Amino acid sequence: MTRTVRTRQRGCVKPTGLLFGPGISPVAPAVMLGILTLLDASNALATDPVMQPKVDMCQGCHGIPGYRTAYPEVYSVPKLGGQKASYITKSLKDYRSGLRQHATMRSIAAELSDQDIAAIAAYYAGTKVK
Amino acid sequence: MNRAIASFLSIMFALSATVHAQGADLQESAQRPDAACAACHGANGNQPVMPETPRLAGQEYAYLVDALTQYRSGARQNPLMSAMAKSLTDAQIHALARYFAAQRGLTVKY
Repeated sequence: MTRTVRTRQRGCVKPTGLLFGPGISPVAPAVMLGILTLLDASNALATDPVMQPKVDMCQGCHGIPGYRTAYPEVYSVPKLGGQKASYITKSLKDYRSGLRQHATMRSIAAELSDQDIAAIAAYYAGTKVK
Repeated sequence: MNRAIASFLSIMFALSATVHAQGADLQESAQRPDAACAACHGANGNQPVMPETPRLAGQEYAYLVDALTQYRSGARQNPLMSAMAKSLTDAQIHALARYFAAQRGLTVKY
């Protein structure tokens, strides 16, 4: 992902001709370094595990419209966008405790802390973490 | 604790009355298949009245069929939903799922 962004950034800068022009070339490395440093800083923020709820592992199934799991059983995956946060929290905790049965969801929920669950629920409900 | 049990029982009592009343409606009226559900899930399944009650509007049809079938069989446990689903026929389950899936509400978020 970082590579894509950097390439795009070079593509944006290059056509201006200023940084790579014959007279101003000594400035170019410093400017480029500055831009890349800023980019790295913003990337680090976006991928910070503390800032980002653990939704990556949800997306593979819940992020695909009309998706059905084929294993361990054929099961239609529910939509989560706009669902109530407290319902998502309850569901994940029920999967984690084994009260609610589904092999894939149980193994995923087993990895989640209460904080993870609250963050995921807030992400899908579109609310702030309580 | 006793108060919690008492309030739970009173909800159950109120709902069981609703279930019996609405069970007849469900068979007679095709216009409002969600009448029994709306007591908890809100109008069109879009405004749940209790924190842990899910929105149903716009949910996947097949998921709703699965959920109701599992509540009916006991594979999924919930005191209220088990009571609600117990008397439903396959045709009623499909009608309810079709109704809620057709409402505007939940989305696929990624």
